[in-house]
Amino acid sequence: MPVASDSVPCVAHFRLHGSKVLAVDLTGDTVKAKKGSMVAYDGEMTFKKKTGGGEGLRGMVTRRLTGEQMEVMEVKGHGTCYFADRASEVNLVTLHGEKLYVEASNLLCTDGALRTGTTFTGLRGASQGNGLFTTTVEGSGQAALVSAGEAVVLRVTPEYPLRVDPGAYVAHTGRLQQHFQSGVNFRTLIGEGSGEAFQIRFEGEGLVYVQPSERNTVGGEV
Amino acid sequence: MPFTMVNTRIVEAAITPGQTMFSQRGAMLAYRGEVAFTPSITGGQGGVMSMIGRRVANEATPLMTVEGNGTVLFGHGGHYVRVVDLSGDTLYVEADRLLAFDGTLRQGTMFMGSQGGVMGMVRGQVSGQGLFTTTLEGHGSVAVMAHGGVIELPITPGRDVHVDPQAYVAHRGKVRNKLTTAIGWRELVGRGSGEGFQLALSGTGTVYVQASEEKL
Repeated sequence: MPVASDSVPCVAHFRLHGSKVLAVDLTGDTVKAKKGSMVAYDGEMTFKKKTGGGEGLRGMVTRRLTGEQMEVMEVKGHGTCYFADRASEVNLVTLHGEKLYVEASNLLCTDGALRTGTTFTGLRGASQGNGLFTTTVEGSGQAALVSAGEAVVLRVTPEYPLRVDPGAYVAHTGRLQQHFQSGVNFRTLIGEGSGEAFQIRFEGEGLVYVQPSERNTVGGEV
Repeated sequence: MPFTMVNTRIVEAAITPGQTMFSQRGAMLAYRGEVAFTPSITGGQGGVMSMIGRRVANEATPLMTVEGNGTVLFGHGGHYVRVVDLSGDTLYVEADRLLAFDGTLRQGTMFMGSQGGVMGMVRGQVSGQGLFTTTLEGHGSVAVMAHGGVIELPITPGRDVHVDPQAYVAHRGKVRNKLTTAIGWRELVGRGSGEGFQLALSGTGTVYVQASEEKL
């Protein structure tokens, strides 16, 4: 879905400064970033908190209800702004009209022209300890994700479905169906599980971002 | 220059006879050759008066002197290390970020409140730096620690750099350091953007910024 010609042109330029710092060149346009993630800037910048992820009243209520809260600020100005979050690795994603699904805690910065929202993920969310909902980013422009360690991008095709540890999942794009699968058997029940009792299976066509680190999840314990 | 990086978190220092090096106490990882580590009771250079100064200023980090002939590996807490080479200019850094430095550098304590008056004092509280900072001046090298890698941003006249106080590591050169606030009614009602305070650095020099808002 291409962006309509009358929408805000995305001129904010995202680039990586090392692997952990995101530099965004702004010329009067805006980006949305995780609250408090600015580490330095030159030029003139203003920071304004956007309640409810800047999605209006309805978005705000949805986020409150779904527990997919996102503390977002709007950054506007001229110059270069540097963002970083707890020394996590930064990954750049360029969207051309497709939809990116990402956990709110992994989203560092998005172009002002991109729309964000929430979506239902099903049972997977509960196993990740992230709730049943996830954040979507849609439109044309750049977005920056953070991951614990450098994320790998894995391609999913109809012939090759992919299984991911829920604790290592960061984001995905494309037309993917996700299924939750469990390998719970009698060994798990007697406490001899391998720690890999649950996986998410992705099927279809798309890309999955996986981090080389696992969040603490219920699945990791059994 | 005596420091060579082994990896991003370990630095190797060459110690030659007659030359002293100061390092944070307990930061030695391994050494080769004949090297002696002596705790420096005065916490660095300048004798007892300087020690009292540092104690009062809360800039007294336990240091040790390293002397002998050999090479020493330094690292601490898994933090990233950055080597800064000084050639006559001054580095302003918090004492607890110092991993090791050349004995040829003059160590001092500076009252930061004098820059910016009342705001200078507020700045110290906000950034957790206190009212004083350590200065190192002269010719030599310093190994500075930071959480999650360091980027260098140049400061030139007319192009000020604003830094999040929590991500600030150190700066060098002729730089004025001022706390600016962007506090409006939003902060007062708890709807702040999280960027209420910034350090505005102006002048000529370099500022070192870490890729994290975590303190050491």
